[in-house]
Amino acid sequence: MRNLWLLLQRNAFLLTFLSLLAVSFGVLVRHDGSAQSSWFRTTGSIAAGVEEQQRQWRDYLELAEKNTALAEQNAALRARLLSMERQGEWSLDTAHGWRVMTGRLIKGPDGHPRSMALGTPGSGGGLTVGMGVLSGGVAIGTVIDVGDQYARILPMLNTAGTWSARIGRGGPVVPLIWDGADADRLSLSDVPRHARAEEGDTVFTSGFDLVFPDGLPIGTVKSSQMSSGSDFKTVYVSPLVDVRSIQHLDYIRNRSDSMRTVLAQPLPQP
Amino acid sequence: MNVIRLLVMVVLQAALLESVAPFGEWTRPQWALWAVFMLPPKSGPFAKLGFGFLLGLGLDIILGTYGHHMIAGTVLGGALPALHRLLSPREGYEVTQKPTLQDLGLQWVAVLSFLGATLFHLTLMVVDTWHTRLIPSALLPALTSALWTTCCCLLLHLLVVPPDRKIKT
Repeated sequence: MRNLWLLLQRNAFLLTFLSLLAVSFGVLVRHDGSAQSSWFRTTGSIAAGVEEQQRQWRDYLELAEKNTALAEQNAALRARLLSMERQGEWSLDTAHGWRVMTGRLIKGPDGHPRSMALGTPGSGGGLTVGMGVLSGGVAIGTVIDVGDQYARILPMLNTAGTWSARIGRGGPVVPLIWDGADADRLSLSDVPRHARAEEGDTVFTSGFDLVFPDGLPIGTVKSSQMSSGSDFKTVYVSPLVDVRSIQHLDYIRNRSDSMRTVLAQPLPQP
Repeated sequence: MNVIRLLVMVVLQAALLESVAPFGEWTRPQWALWAVFMLPPKSGPFAKLGFGFLLGLGLDIILGTYGHHMIAGTVLGGALPALHRLLSPREGYEVTQKPTLQDLGLQWVAVLSFLGATLFHLTLMVVDTWHTRLIPSALLPALTSALWTTCCCLLLHLLVVPPDRKIKT
């Protein structure tokens, strides 16, 4: 309080000057129409500028929350779309539909042949082993292990994984692997020689691995290699998504997944 | 004495002397400023500020230009202590010194009058025109009016010199 008083004393002349100036301005603005309109226009534009700046900052600070909300909304819409697409094709899935959850990639594969990815949430968020992992609607891997808060993901960029895919929507079902050489090149092995694989053709999931529904995009045909004397060829695929640079994930699981897994088991030997 | 001088000059300017403008808007005199310039340099800054404000208030009340002269007068009163410091002799002012031609000389009085009048007229010009697009065209008349006000103030200084006193140059 004493310091405040000293400060006021030290600046008494300036404060008096400003006070008298304010009084004068008050009288002027009150009686002069031109000054009044100009004053209100100026203060109005300043207030609008400050308000606009505040809004921009608020928008910027709330960006993360809005992003999360949009991702959740996106996941819900994708789940709904997926169920609608299956209507009439797969009665079981039409009845139960697919469940999509959102998450974030904590660590992507680093390009080594056996590197894994790490994502959130874990079992606490409802994740289970075997869920398919998407990014922007593109299949990128599967959950192989879950903790309370994190999930370990086997990405397609791992030599340990084999995925079921097909070239185009009606092509033959063939295994998709990564040979560990080039992160921008997956391989479809054992593709029948007669199967059409033009550069740019989309490669989809087949749904046979019970991880993804069929028809989810994986990548596009980059090139193909024919071995002489063989009935099969190798088709190289360029992934649609670079797993090393994504942030948002969608986890997908069929609601009747356990029933499908049981029914897909080989029959016991008599 | 200072207050009486101020009142007299304000009334005189409003009633009579304002029309002494040989070139119209180019030479609008502010005779009453002389009353402010006549404040002794050793008087307190609050007195100078208050005098400037009262000068503007008086002119506004009589001329009906509410706020215009008050702002200009306050600015002049606020700047007067700084002007006095700026023009201070090396050894400083003496308590008995008055801001007259005899005590502080023609140069001091002319420079102070011109700087003060310029400040007053420029502030008044900004407040009168208000819009920035009109200010460039009003700038030159404000400066010439400041020059004319300086001449008027010098004339008043000469008028109040006692006949037996010698003007310091």
